[in-house]
Amino acid sequence: MQQFVNVTLSGLIQGSIFAAFALALVLIWRSTRIVNFAQGSMAAATSFIALALIHSGQSYWLALVVALAAGFVLGAVVERVIVRPVEGGPELNAVIVTLGLFVAIQALIAIIAGSEFQSFPAPFGLRGFTFGSTTIALTPNSVFVLIAVLITMVLLVALFRFTRVGLAMRASAFGQEVARLLGVRVGRMLTLGWALAAVVGSLSGLLIAGGGLVYPAYMDSLIVFGFVAAILGGLDSPIGAIVGGLLLGLALSYVSGYVPRGSGLVNLAALVILMVVLLVRPGGLFASSTARRA
Amino acid sequence: MSRSSRRLVTVLAAVTVASTLAACGGSNDNGGGGGSTANEASDTGVTADTIKIGSHYPLTGVAAPGYSTIPLGAQAYFDYVNKNGGVNGRKIDWVYKDDAYNPTNTSQVVNELVLKDEVFAIMGGLGTPTHSAVVDFLNSEGVPDLFVASGSRLWGEDPKKNPDTFGWQTDYESEGKIIGQYIAQKFPNAKVGLFLQDDDFGQDGEKGVRQFIDKQVVSAQRYTPGNTAVGPQIAALKAAGADFVVGFNVPAYTALSQLTALQLGFKPQWFYSNVGSDPTLVGALLNNFSQGKVADASSLEGTITTAYLPTVDHPDDPWVQLFQKVWDASGQTGPMSNYHIYGMSQAYTMVQALQAAGQNPTRKSLMDAVEKAGADWKGPGLAPFRYSADSHMGIGGMSVVQISGTSTKELQPVMTTDLGDAKIQAYDGKESTPPSSGIPDEKAAK
Repeated sequence: MQQFVNVTLSGLIQGSIFAAFALALVLIWRSTRIVNFAQGSMAAATSFIALALIHSGQSYWLALVVALAAGFVLGAVVERVIVRPVEGGPELNAVIVTLGLFVAIQALIAIIAGSEFQSFPAPFGLRGFTFGSTTIALTPNSVFVLIAVLITMVLLVALFRFTRVGLAMRASAFGQEVARLLGVRVGRMLTLGWALAAVVGSLSGLLIAGGGLVYPAYMDSLIVFGFVAAILGGLDSPIGAIVGGLLLGLALSYVSGYVPRGSGLVNLAALVILMVVLLVRPGGLFASSTARRA
Repeated sequence: MSRSSRRLVTVLAAVTVASTLAACGGSNDNGGGGGSTANEASDTGVTADTIKIGSHYPLTGVAAPGYSTIPLGAQAYFDYVNKNGGVNGRKIDWVYKDDAYNPTNTSQVVNELVLKDEVFAIMGGLGTPTHSAVVDFLNSEGVPDLFVASGSRLWGEDPKKNPDTFGWQTDYESEGKIIGQYIAQKFPNAKVGLFLQDDDFGQDGEKGVRQFIDKQVVSAQRYTPGNTAVGPQIAALKAAGADFVVGFNVPAYTALSQLTALQLGFKPQWFYSNVGSDPTLVGALLNNFSQGKVADASSLEGTITTAYLPTVDHPDDPWVQLFQKVWDASGQTGPMSNYHIYGMSQAYTMVQALQAAGQNPTRKSLMDAVEKAGADWKGPGLAPFRYSADSHMGIGGMSVVQISGTSTKELQPVMTTDLGDAKIQAYDGKESTPPSSGIPDEKAAK
């Protein structure tokens, strides 16, 4: 029973981080119709900025704010300088450019910050809560992670559903020309979409880093699982990303905890889950509408 | 077959024969035992005044922490030897390349070292998966593959299969046996959990441990390197009621297992195998969390581990003093670490091997020298090497120590053993001390 509770909790916490990352992918997809493979490296870059600040004696919270701001700027710059020039061509070009960027940013981090493992402080305690004599795998820090992810999701839903900017972003992504004719500054919306997505990506990078070890490639597995979570949820729906992330986190934790030698089967399990869901629901669990496909 | 293609075949055949002859000519066996008085370019990678030695290390990537600094230690010792006249008047040219702990890269850089840089020998190539990728190549090329930096049995258990490869450090199975016997004697009532890397590092260790305490093991959990979420594994050890956990894991996973255990409120007696236990490295990994309000997680206080080399926390040890002198003279930055000592110790053995290979060493005379004389060499290792015509296994023993503050204290003196059913015996040899010059003086092996 104790094992079940702990494995479930580890899965939920892992899943909430997958969800945060999936949110960033959903955001960029909704606002630009691009799949950004460089998301993980960009998030790693901002985490290392935060770590440098913490090492220089600044507080975690200041580092967090600076890292998120850095993510915003990085996202905007990447869109303007690197993605925009290839945007007119075949759709695949932009995606491949983000792949190149993924490797390049990682190399850059290694050059600047070194490729060693470093520990990343957590803002809250890393000791599990105790009930009587049993300690469960839920720490104050993981509560913080869960809450942060939920708040982010609510903000995103609100942005797309209730604000003009959110509407304009979606319009720009769907039909650039129509949006432009209606007076939406499409270029700006695309930049904003990238910038916001990078902020959410940075947040997920910081959340997974807290109380763990970071190195330039530490986001790699998260990129894969984040994509799987996003696709599970439908790639279009923030709530889908959250549900997809949590389901994936739980499933992988059960595989790791209950299947013999499960730790090695985790990546395989992720693929199997993805295949099964896509066979049953090709659009993902929360696909908003299939008619929208251009 | 048309006429022109037949001619092509003839030409190809001729070229093949010629290049084979050239290759044979490159490794002829002259002057191996010494005797001549002048230095000659006696084999590939050897000139009248230099010997080129190559290696591969993870200088970047997941395995880089700690391991990337081993070649700096070797560099420091070779520099020291070179400054003091080299080996038989030859300076050692130390070339090492980054494989990022990726076997594909290892193949590539070792190819470069052998074919392009034309090294005389490879020394201290690091890692089981990585070095496995190049063992066949090195043995088919006849390149001495000395002192592989990994405790796998692969390097030494079958010299007939890999005649050119030699292990160096105590193998994981022997380590497991010594750990198992120690637990059986000192903690006969412990419920033992095993935390294992899911490859032959973990398997060999487990095999050794289970020889002695199979009945005491309540759970064996395996992690896959790269999957950093070890929560389910540690939770399973806790759920199985383990109060004593033996880890055959790498340093980053020592830190991860400690963090996860803290999260779960799991407080067994920890026993990490030598590989995963460097207190300085793991301490540095964990220390940073003190800002995350877990200051007491920053030490491995009370953790038990094993040792087969002297360590930096014993500044009075004559070998540590020698290495400290060498390190300080090298002009490299930062304090000396156990990884540097590892590199310097390997370099020390390498110098012994080169000396024993004679004034004009050949690849064959080098390997013969290790086989014939290696078991008698005195060095920093706590137990002797097991080198012979039948075994290329390295150091055959370990002591058991406990981490206390920033130092370690000995719980059990050095015991020696070997693979399989070999008995575990107390080591009765004397502790060696380094020569006053700091450089070995081995005679050419006959």
